[in-house]
Amino acid sequence: MVSWPHWLVTIIIVPLVGAVLTPVVGRGRPKVIPIWALGIMTATSLAALMLIIRVAQEGPFSYLVGGWARPYGIELHFDEFSASVGIICLVGWLALLFSYHYVAETIPARRVPYFYTLVLLNLTGMIGFVVTGDLFNLFVFLEILSLSAYALVAVSGEHIAEMAAFKYLVMGAVSSIVVLLSIGLLYSVTGSLNMADIASRLAGVEQRLPVMLALAGLAMSFMVKAALFPLHIWLPDAHSIAPSPVSAILSGLVVKVGVFGLLRVYQIFYGAGTYDLTGLNTALVWLGAISIVMGAFFAIFQEDIKMMLAYSTISNIGYIVMGLGLASQYSLIGATVHIFNHALIKGTLFLAAGAIIHKTGYRTLTDLRGVGKAMPVTCMAVSIGAISIVGIPPTAGFLCKWYIALGAFQAGKPAFGIALIFGALFIFIYYIRMVNSFYFQKPTHPEILEVGEAPLSMLIPILVLATLCLVMGILGRIPISFIEPAVIRMLGPFGG
Amino acid sequence: MLTALWNNLDYAAPMMLFLIGLYAVIAKDNLIKKFMGLNIMETAVFAFIMALGVVDGGSAPIIDHGAHAPFTNPIPQALILTGIVVALSTTALALSLIIRIYEQCGTIEGNELRELG
Amino acid sequence: MKKLLVTALLIVAGIPLLLMVAELPPYGSAENATYTHVSAHYLEHAVEDAGAENIVTDIILNYRGFDTNGEVTVIFTALAAVLAVLLLDRTPAAAGEESAPAPADEESTQPVSIVVSFIVRLLAPFIALFALYVILNGHATPGGGFQGGTILGALAIALTVVLGHKEAQRLLPEGLKPWLQAAAPLTFIVIGLAGLVSVGSYLEFPAVNGHVASAVATFFSNIGFPAAEGLSWVRAMWLLLLEFGIGIGGAAVIASIFWTMEAE
Repeated sequence: MVSWPHWLVTIIIVPLVGAVLTPVVGRGRPKVIPIWALGIMTATSLAALMLIIRVAQEGPFSYLVGGWARPYGIELHFDEFSASVGIICLVGWLALLFSYHYVAETIPARRVPYFYTLVLLNLTGMIGFVVTGDLFNLFVFLEILSLSAYALVAVSGEHIAEMAAFKYLVMGAVSSIVVLLSIGLLYSVTGSLNMADIASRLAGVEQRLPVMLALAGLAMSFMVKAALFPLHIWLPDAHSIAPSPVSAILSGLVVKVGVFGLLRVYQIFYGAGTYDLTGLNTALVWLGAISIVMGAFFAIFQEDIKMMLAYSTISNIGYIVMGLGLASQYSLIGATVHIFNHALIKGTLFLAAGAIIHKTGYRTLTDLRGVGKAMPVTCMAVSIGAISIVGIPPTAGFLCKWYIALGAFQAGKPAFGIALIFGALFIFIYYIRMVNSFYFQKPTHPEILEVGEAPLSMLIPILVLATLCLVMGILGRIPISFIEPAVIRMLGPFGG
Repeated sequence: MLTALWNNLDYAAPMMLFLIGLYAVIAKDNLIKKFMGLNIMETAVFAFIMALGVVDGGSAPIIDHGAHAPFTNPIPQALILTGIVVALSTTALALSLIIRIYEQCGTIEGNELRELG
Repeated sequence: MKKLLVTALLIVAGIPLLLMVAELPPYGSAENATYTHVSAHYLEHAVEDAGAENIVTDIILNYRGFDTNGEVTVIFTALAAVLAVLLLDRTPAAAGEESAPAPADEESTQPVSIVVSFIVRLLAPFIALFALYVILNGHATPGGGFQGGTILGALAIALTVVLGHKEAQRLLPEGLKPWLQAAAPLTFIVIGLAGLVSVGSYLEFPAVNGHVASAVATFFSNIGFPAAEGLSWVRAMWLLLLEFGIGIGGAAVIASIFWTMEAE
């Protein structure tokens, strides 16, 4: 079963079929839609499981769509990094379960089928993005996931939601255009669109400047998608205004697409072997460090809990990008595993925040004082998430941040390792503020104590993710040893 | 260098168009004008990639009886067909967002929207 | 001030771009990497490999068919996005006014002059025929599903302007609407899965020497359509099906987006 060759295309087709048929299935039967979407995601997760088992057993493999040999057709390529489909399916599934009651009560009824369609399309886009081995195909999937993400921000119809979505759209569309331009430049000097083929042909290219500009363009636009510090301005509004399950997907998964794009760019250029990437590495390390500090700094001054979480995402993306830029074995392992762990943690926090806001109707720290007594389970999940994101030892956040810090020492840049630890301190401060206000302060609104827990469809995803935050802390070595061969292969002769 | 630039004028022109579009995106306040800037950028990139496919004296890559080599490069044409569709989709979504913003705030001027908060 | 700053910034950004342009491979030369690598293979083998004289069609529907699969998904995403952003719940009060918009619609059709209205009605069948021609000839001439679909969509928009919202929407029956809107991605998936099951790879077209394929080819040559040189009938049929799906789906999406924007 694992060796069935078509899982790699199935994992894209199944959610795609689910998405395009959602309006058909949901016609006059609104109750069926969430169950349909969950079923589709279950099937997708099965495919993801098969793929991950296969890559663990036999290493990277490819699928030639249409049977055309490389580089004439489109190649899907599954390596250890592509195992991110696992986390995409997991968080996507749980966010859909969370939506079961949430969406019915917060989104205009006529939009509901399209909400599910867009979520499924978004997940399809992300899955396609991480498994494709063709640069132009990457752009197509990037557009599917971006377009659906813009619309999902605006779907609630809340005040200024459309404005936030428009801001996101303009930044996102500009970066997509630059991606396309860079792909055009790479095509102009190599004549190919297949990533592996480009990597092998780049070594013999005489025209350096177009290649360097293409690299800069790709790096810059993926930084926009990843919301790295000076390019982050679209993120806080978009992530805090979107419906909470969407925030979990956007913050846990969609921004990672930018990071993943950077990773793919690195793979191409490391594969080419003849390009000096020190400049880009330095830029990434500095921008990452600045993002860590600035994200945390802005988060401290936020009153709105979802706004705070949004800024915290910027800070955590900073960790990942810094890990990429340090380009040593440990830091890259830490960064890739943090992609996975941060999705778990941010998923927990955004879903829990969503449940709290949904039940109480308040969203600022002052208004939410004392909610810990009213919703003990949800707030416990928030606390677990907070501990994990700071990186306190037994939880998921610790090991990857530790590896990134080790990587900084390994790369001979200990100052960044220290910056990273200070960043964690900053993060600690604002999460302490949140936990403090939930548990230890007198309620501003006494009626908040009457509020009960959210329904099970919301509680289960929160609890599953919170448990995983703890479990991944203990079993943290599994993803690390899983990703290690891929990192060593990628660094190749450059391995530090 | 200048001769090389002159020979590649067909690449240089889309680059300039790209920058003009970027100017509109950054400097204009009106949301529709901003978005028109975006469309100019898209068109510029399409023109650039199309120019990559030109071959001197090439005819359309349709191989029937009267056709004769050289043919122009078909790949950029195929890519840009996809690109145009993507641009169209983004435009549709952006215009709907602008419609909703106008309904809610009564204006689509960026500076007035900022005052509204 | 801001504008000056932006201009200065862009001029600075323009310099490396121009330097790069000077370094790019010479324009129009047949020795460029773009022309000698993948594209040379396509120009040489596409007709017998993929089944259409128009190599652009070969590329978008066959060699890089998966891209086009994604592309039609992008159009569908745009439709879902527009609907998710624009649809509003009718409050009971608004539902009560349901009868009111109808006369308003009538009014909005009045300003269209009789000449325009007459000409659009007169031309409509011919435009539709032309759209069909463009869709069905994509494998041999410039054209294809997207172009023809756009013509059909534009026709639907023109008819809406002339006939009014209600009349024009009858072009797309309520029950079939979601199916037609999803037609393009669904066609791709069906063809893709057919390839997966029968030939061995997603979106792979049946070869001429397959059992079914040769049976169909024999059938066509028996009824007087011998296979053109180097072309496989089955592949051409496959391409036509895809073109048709794209055309119908594209037209439905374009028309639906226009109607949604108009109504809300």
